[in-house]
Amino acid sequence: MRDKIVYFAGAAAIVIFARDIYVAAGLPEEASQGIIFKIIFFHVPLAIAAMLASFVALVASILFLVTRNFRYDALAVSVTEVGLALLAGNLITGSIWGHVAWGVWWAWDARLTSALVCWLLYAGYMMLRRAIEEPTQRATFAAVFSILAFIDVPIVVFSIKWWRTQHPQPVFWGGGSFPAEWLGVFLWNMLAMTLLGVVLTMVRLRQEDAQRELDAMRRMAHAF
Amino acid sequence: MTYLFAQLTSDDVTREIARLQHGYYWLSWAMIVAWAIVVVYVLLLVGREKKLKREIASLKVMLEEKQK
Repeated sequence: MRDKIVYFAGAAAIVIFARDIYVAAGLPEEASQGIIFKIIFFHVPLAIAAMLASFVALVASILFLVTRNFRYDALAVSVTEVGLALLAGNLITGSIWGHVAWGVWWAWDARLTSALVCWLLYAGYMMLRRAIEEPTQRATFAAVFSILAFIDVPIVVFSIKWWRTQHPQPVFWGGGSFPAEWLGVFLWNMLAMTLLGVVLTMVRLRQEDAQRELDAMRRMAHAF
Repeated sequence: MTYLFAQLTSDDVTREIARLQHGYYWLSWAMIVAWAIVVVYVLLLVGREKKLKREIASLKVMLEEKQK
């Protein structure tokens, strides 16, 4: 059943992405930035999906510390890894957009720096997991680290409100707006990116189950 | 409108084409990189899954042999 959901959600995400690329190609240029502005259809959904992944990792980590159920630890590591990939896509598309719009690949402003720190923190989380052998200790340390790493997420989100940044104000809660046809593509892409994140997380979660099965079999093999 | 078009020079047209090409060039790169990250990650997942299945299968065989 879970496999069918994964295949269906993955296929739905691909269909929506294909449709959105086709529709976005037909949309007119943005008045001041030109054609490069269309990267917003991927850059922002990547960021929102990555931040959602961080939030799920936070909840899963808290639930692990409360219940000591390893399913939550598996969910936390799966969703963090997927979020890391999505945030990498967001940072790189943002850098290319900055190169065209601002004339520089990178600016050490609050938004860009906090987003990079966020990526480094979650990369650190993955490295921490590899460094600890004992499963319970690994899951506990990782959960605490994940909770602390989440402190950076609100800073990433609100940095453009709190400080004057090179990065522009948000379109939707910064007083701006989208034409209806742009908003449609954006929201569909948001849905597709979330679906993609869910599919990748479910696949990764299945691997965590397989890894646990493998560890149990190894222990049995040693016991013989 | 016709009056505006009449004022265009070949330099204006060349500049506009160059501007559009510049935008499309970087937009294409951004899309390629974003999708490349997803594709590489999916390939890593597939590789990891294959490795896990192989290890589980070999351990199962080993455990069955030991039980005999």
